[in-house]
Amino acid sequence: MTFGNPWMLLGALGALIPLLVHLFDRRRPRPHPFGPMAFVLRSQKRTASRLKLKRLLLYALRTLILLAIPVALARPELRRDAAASAVAKGPAATAVVLDASLSMRWADGTSLFERGRDEARDALKDLQADEPSTVLVCTSAPAAPPPPGFDRARLRAIIDEARPTYGTADLSRCMELAARALEENPTPGKRLVLVSDMTAAAFRLESPPPTVKDPTGKRVRPEVVLRDAAEGREALPNHSLVELKVEPALQAGPRAFQFTFTVKNQSPEAVKDVEAAVRVGEAALAKGFVDVPANGTAQKSLTVRFPQGGTVEGAVTLAPDALPEDDQRSFVLPVPRALKALVINGAPHATRYRDEAFFVEAALTAPGSPVEVSMRDMDAGLRENYAAYDLVLLLNVPAPSAEDAERLAAFVTAGGGLFVSMGDRVDPDSYNSRLGALLPRALRLVRTSVEREDPEAETKSAKLAKVEVEHPLFSPFTGRAEEGLVGARFYRYMLLEADNPAATGASQVLATYEDGAPAVAVARRGKGRVGLFTSTVDRDWSDFAIRTSFLPLMQRFAAYLTGSLEEREEQRVRVGETVTLRPEGGQVIAAVRAPDGTELAVKAQQDGSVVAGPLLEPGLYAVLGAEGKPLQALDFAVMLDPVESDLTRLPSDTLTAYFGEETVKASSGDAERPKVPLWTWLIVAACAAFFFEGTLLRK
Amino acid sequence: MALLDAQTLSRLQGVKLRARAVMEGVLSGLHKSPHQGQSVEFAEHKEYAPGDELRHLDWKAYGKFDKYYIKRFEHETNLRSVMVVDASASMGYRSGALSKLEVSTILAGALCYLLVRQQDAAGLAVMVGEAFKDVPPRASAGHLNVLLDALEHTQPQGTTNLASAADHLAEVLPRRSTVIVLSDLLDEREDALKRILALRQRKNDVVLFHVVDPAELTFPFDDPTLFLDMEGDARIEVNPREIKESYLEEFGAFLASVKAACAEADVDYELVRTDERLDEVLLRFLARRGRRR
Repeated sequence: MTFGNPWMLLGALGALIPLLVHLFDRRRPRPHPFGPMAFVLRSQKRTASRLKLKRLLLYALRTLILLAIPVALARPELRRDAAASAVAKGPAATAVVLDASLSMRWADGTSLFERGRDEARDALKDLQADEPSTVLVCTSAPAAPPPPGFDRARLRAIIDEARPTYGTADLSRCMELAARALEENPTPGKRLVLVSDMTAAAFRLESPPPTVKDPTGKRVRPEVVLRDAAEGREALPNHSLVELKVEPALQAGPRAFQFTFTVKNQSPEAVKDVEAAVRVGEAALAKGFVDVPANGTAQKSLTVRFPQGGTVEGAVTLAPDALPEDDQRSFVLPVPRALKALVINGAPHATRYRDEAFFVEAALTAPGSPVEVSMRDMDAGLRENYAAYDLVLLLNVPAPSAEDAERLAAFVTAGGGLFVSMGDRVDPDSYNSRLGALLPRALRLVRTSVEREDPEAETKSAKLAKVEVEHPLFSPFTGRAEEGLVGARFYRYMLLEADNPAATGASQVLATYEDGAPAVAVARRGKGRVGLFTSTVDRDWSDFAIRTSFLPLMQRFAAYLTGSLEEREEQRVRVGETVTLRPEGGQVIAAVRAPDGTELAVKAQQDGSVVAGPLLEPGLYAVLGAEGKPLQALDFAVMLDPVESDLTRLPSDTLTAYFGEETVKASSGDAERPKVPLWTWLIVAACAAFFFEGTLLRK
Repeated sequence: MALLDAQTLSRLQGVKLRARAVMEGVLSGLHKSPHQGQSVEFAEHKEYAPGDELRHLDWKAYGKFDKYYIKRFEHETNLRSVMVVDASASMGYRSGALSKLEVSTILAGALCYLLVRQQDAAGLAVMVGEAFKDVPPRASAGHLNVLLDALEHTQPQGTTNLASAADHLAEVLPRRSTVIVLSDLLDEREDALKRILALRQRKNDVVLFHVVDPAELTFPFDDPTLFLDMEGDARIEVNPREIKESYLEEFGAFLASVKAACAEADVDYELVRTDERLDEVLLRFLARRGRRR
């Protein structure tokens, strides 16, 4: 126990006054002859024991009053006792390490960080005047603290200005940095004060504890004072959004997406009916509820159909808890926009189902499809202005003239999509000579696996054997959906050359038949893409057109070849990391705007990309082009590190064992300390004693 | 009437003056009383029967009704009263102008005046410790001076012994007398009061004036006090405030027990405070006696 005004304790001698009065105040009572003495004697006898007790109580209460008041004025504080014992050996250079990680944002009215700041201020207040000190605010990228000094005002200002971050904090690293700073001070005693919520994720217990050099140069463990901002709580309940997966939901429409997110519950009790929602701006597009078992995870899927294409920016949110920052995750989603497709029919037929383009038209104009189809025969189609379309489909079209081929090449190079399917009218040599530079691979010859009328066509026909389901084009065809692909029969198909030496970019074979011949090949030409299907899109060379997989594959072809199916991998950036942005075409990236509105400068790289960051805040980042023009397609979302959502606390025994039992002098927390200074209780006791003394006197 | 408060009486020298002042106050108050005439009065007619005294025949009634009627009267004989005054040491206590003994002698003197004035016999028995100073009852006017002289020279001393007084009175008193006891009744002996009240069983009319000092009733002491027993050697140092509540309970219970015992024994009881007007005490007493008759 320490006293703020110890000289006030002299007043406690006043407690002797009642005793002295009792011993020395022997006033002579006035004699009074009285008739009814018998009554006086009986009354005295009746009340003697009660009076004795009353006198004793009065004596005790008066002593208490006279003792409590001067002791209270001396301002005793039990809380300082721990610190006093820690400094009993002499002055020590002290470094206060304040945890500023995301987990310190956990709040139940007051945030752990606010409590931590109070603890840090108290730690400075508890220091003796001759103890130099420094402060280190521990973030994901901590800087070395200033050397220990006596400018307490500056240290208090550092604490006042400290803010909790959204990142992790490596307390082991911070303690090491603080220990290095202490070594620069000649004071023999060294002390580290750690103010933290003591979550397990913040410590690297496998690394050695911090040490300092003693005057002989030998490394010794410094004294460690642990101040628990969580006030000794056993657990800090928290649920968080740890994973988010966004996939197209074709079954619900071309612009429908399924948001699958994983919720983790890091508390010892299950949470029920946690509201989950997909939000864009203030509007909730989908809502659901999820139950998560204690210390477990649960998944929830919500399907959202966006009304129009373009880049959509929003967030998936959970009902907020004590740490609301990890209850949401932002996303940037390219939603397919409306497409204009020019279908050039190389083999029209009066009977609709025998028409070359019948099945393609049906697939591209199915309800919910974003594709607007224009049907043309070969002559009309090849004369069209391709610039008015996003996609051109050549269906069993004889090789165009050299002039048309050039226009097609220009269309693709400028960013258009070209789909080519085979048929009887396709002459490999003519194609190779006029469109060879455009096709993913040169055509070789037609191979017939079996005639369609053959009774054994069922077994002898070719089938798809290998499909690149990792590619965006085929990514939906996994599991049972794959059967629609591999069940199709191909009676005839075009063989391709093994390589295309004339092509500037490499082609990619996404599906092959059982004999290894390519079934689907794609290539990027300039800004555009070209897709080659080596069989027919009607029933002449295969029955693929009547298979269930035909419709979605054609729609995905349309989306992929026009760049609507985002090939670019989602930017998965975590708080504290940098982001690499790749501008397309002539785009210039000038800056990145953070969620709080601040603009971050970008650094150009040699490969044409730019780097921004480190990014310190989760949420949506807007990419700005020249003159501040937004480049929405490049916008990205930054997410939190799920590690910081795990608020599992380290037991004090573990921490004590880690830092060394002989060095951890005070493991303090508000739970172990009186919340109200002792002197206020003494005043309360004195007032109560005063009240009871008055009551006793009146009786 | 202002002459009769305790302060004024205390300035008058001697029992004679004081008792006379009180008596005159009583007489002037009696005019307002419904109980006029303390002497022999006509009560009713009774038809003559052999053996009745002929001197009480109402000849006027005979003239009217032609029948013999006998006149009947109340109190056909003179009253014989004895004042028993307690002159023990405790009766000397005073917190105001008059001590209990002074009040007792004034009351006794005034009563003697009243009795002799109506030709009743008045006597006196003063208890001084174990001894008694007796003045036998007589109705002559000259006897009044003897009674008042005896009261005049009474001083408080000795202890209260009501039982002894009761025994003495039983010896000296003829039956059917009126015994008027004036005492503070501070006798701790177990059956002291009972013995006095037992006089009632000998066909005597017993009246008890219980004389108390206001300080005994209210215990108005504050400072630590050494109380000394006026009739013995006991002494005790107490803080009066600490025992006041208990004392008042004890004394109240004592008064209640005395009053209850008197009621049970058919004895007139009158509590007299030494600070109240004595003529009012006597008027109150006479009024109650009148109602009883």
